Amino acid sequence: MTAIHQAVADPSAMNGHETTAPKPHRTKEREKRRSWLLTVGIWVTLIYFVVPLLWLAVSSTKDNGDLFTTFGLGPGHSFQFFHNVAQLFSFQDGIYSRWLINTLIYSLGGALGATLLATMCGYALAKYKFRGSRVVFNAILVSIMVPLTALAIPTYLLFAATNLTDSPWAVILPSLVSPFGVYLMRVYAADAVDDSLLEAARIDGAGEFRIFTTIVLRLLGPGIVTVLLFQLVATWNNYFLPLIMLNNPNLFPVTVGLAQWQSTAAAGGGAQVLFSTVLTGSFVSVIPLMIAFVFLQRYWRSGLATGGVKG
Amino acid sequence: MKTLRSTAVAITALALTGALVSGCSSSKPTGAAASAPVTQAQIDQAMDTPTTLNLWAWVPDIQHEVDLFEQKYPKIKVNIVNNSGATGQYVKLRAALQSGKGIPDVAQIGYDHISTFTQTKSLLDLTPYGGAKLATDFVPGIWSQVALNGGVWAIPQDSGPMGTLYRTDLFSKAGVSAPTTWDQFATAAQAIKDKTGAYITDMPGNDMPQMLGLFSQAGVAPFSYDGKSTVSINLDSPAAQKVVSYWQNLIQKNLVATDPDFTDGWYQGLSRGQYASWLTAAWGPVFLQGTAKNTSGSWAAATLPQWQAGQNVSANWGGSSNAVMAASTHPIAAYELAKFINDDPASTVMLANQQFLYPTTTATLTNPQFSDAKSDFYGGQQVNKFFAGVSATVADNLQWVPFMDSVNSSYDDTVGKAITNHTDMVGALAVWQQQVVDYAKKQGFTVK
Repeated sequence: MTAIHQAVADPSAMNGHETTAPKPHRTKEREKRRSWLLTVGIWVTLIYFVVPLLWLAVSSTKDNGDLFTTFGLGPGHSFQFFHNVAQLFSFQDGIYSRWLINTLIYSLGGALGATLLATMCGYALAKYKFRGSRVVFNAILVSIMVPLTALAIPTYLLFAATNLTDSPWAVILPSLVSPFGVYLMRVYAADAVDDSLLEAARIDGAGEFRIFTTIVLRLLGPGIVTVLLFQLVATWNNYFLPLIMLNNPNLFPVTVGLAQWQSTAAAGGGAQVLFSTVLTGSFVSVIPLMIAFVFLQRYWRSGLATGGVKG
Repeated sequence: MKTLRSTAVAITALALTGALVSGCSSSKPTGAAASAPVTQAQIDQAMDTPTTLNLWAWVPDIQHEVDLFEQKYPKIKVNIVNNSGATGQYVKLRAALQSGKGIPDVAQIGYDHISTFTQTKSLLDLTPYGGAKLATDFVPGIWSQVALNGGVWAIPQDSGPMGTLYRTDLFSKAGVSAPTTWDQFATAAQAIKDKTGAYITDMPGNDMPQMLGLFSQAGVAPFSYDGKSTVSINLDSPAAQKVVSYWQNLIQKNLVATDPDFTDGWYQGLSRGQYASWLTAAWGPVFLQGTAKNTSGSWAAATLPQWQAGQNVSANWGGSSNAVMAASTHPIAAYELAKFINDDPASTVMLANQQFLYPTTTATLTNPQFSDAKSDFYGGQQVNKFFAGVSATVADNLQWVPFMDSVNSSYDDTVGKAITNHTDMVGALAVWQQQVVDYAKKQGFTVK
């Protein structure tokens, strides 16, 4: 198991194998043509996804004047990145760092909690036969279709009734629910956890909780990371829910805080031209996500690959 | 299973519509509203009682004005919540009203949304608190935005009498002066395009309030509302058709740009001299000064072009007010706060000079501290004084219906889309009218 794991997790090993393998001439040519098309396709996709990010990165190095007078993807007349960052972290007594910390707490709290719940729920649905399990699973499938934004106002009314609005719980608790995560974990657990393994453990006298923590959690590792990443991104980017839940600026996540600055800049009668600050703030706020992806990516990739081999 | 699913959907749908229509059925929290006129003794007592007020406003740094208030009334503490602009404010207000909890005492509300909130009886009639007596302090055209259907529902905060900001350098290069009539404007558009390559202005497809301002200037009274359940909608009147076909003609000749406003491309257009003028309001000058710094010294302000030579009619674009919520448990103190911010001379001058809100009180409009300000950006012109003159010429025909959000999104889909795609705007105007009438009827309004 671990051997397969490592071999698949290391793509260089696979590539090496492929290139050294002898191949008939004609097949090779066809592959070449096909990959030429693929390469163009991938480049187009890459540009499509990277250009906005590039624009954001370039814009964060300009002052307000240059933002509107120079070409969007070209450099400005002066390099203002450090000045912008300094302005970002000092504006309104440096409330931006507070927002960053809030976002970190909300998304980590939400993502870890949601992943745990989704894993337990998905595993239970996949491996335990009980009355009504299909109904529960179907209900979860249905609720995937309802976007979180549409639920924000009903959620607000619920939280208002229990006096939980304008507190961190108002953002974290709704983020703990991830129907898509449950769905993903159920599908993943059905394949990744072998029934005979569970049986063996039970025969050896392990309790259900012990089985879950010592065996299942490890087998589900890659799936867990996937759900964690999804939920991390979703909570990190959540705007509407915290907007209606929170009143106190000290509780805002970055999204709501930046939107407030942005509206100040657009409506602000020129008193505070904040465009470069808002852009720099947006740029800084996506950096932690990019880091999280780079670090967690290898677990994720091995997860997808494992599934491929098994399927 | 089927029942479970449909029930879940029904519950969600119910909750949603409930929140959107904002309160057809939910029990309204009742504040401590007065019916008889409030006496000075009651006011003195209220202002001497330790009280905490919640103020929801999106004006940056409104804390400065609130500080003045707290200095005058040390026993009153004010909590400010900034909901990131009008859109966030209305969403949150509706959610709070629906749940009956966390409703602020005083809220900033745009003139176009006052009837949205009076329709649900969410605002306090300020007449018993002395609101009606303030009428003489304010510009009449603006006061009519808050004094509706026998009540006073808010205190005006800022306004936007419309005018033209134009590039003197581009106009003189094209050999034309600031047009005084729309006919001259069309001629100038051709000259500017030929000689400088610039568009005379931009007509965005995403800005209904600007178009309604131009309607109002042409004598269209687009909406009326009786405060109960009757509305009238005249978006497709001959005068409105005249305005729309005028712009359609310029757009089809490619003399007017059609970029959405307040977007990156539009800011670039202003900074790079792609638009030779901006049909804007009194809040525009300071805004432009901040976003198109590099064009300093080449702008000037003029009145809107007129439909008939010799006329002098303007319209209002934008502006908002402070309303006291009906659920407030401290209505007297809340009213005094709304009044202080927007009527106290020190506070209103501060709003005008520091936050650049265009004033609504005649005292501040004529206060030399405000009106004598000169700006190098406008070649030393006294822009504030200029717009103070425009203030008096604002048409008072612009009223609102209680569902402006829907009217606005319908505009974007019809006339706005026709502007952006350079298609039949006059036809789109008729569709807009029809969509708004249909929506009003569906909501249970009588359309007359």
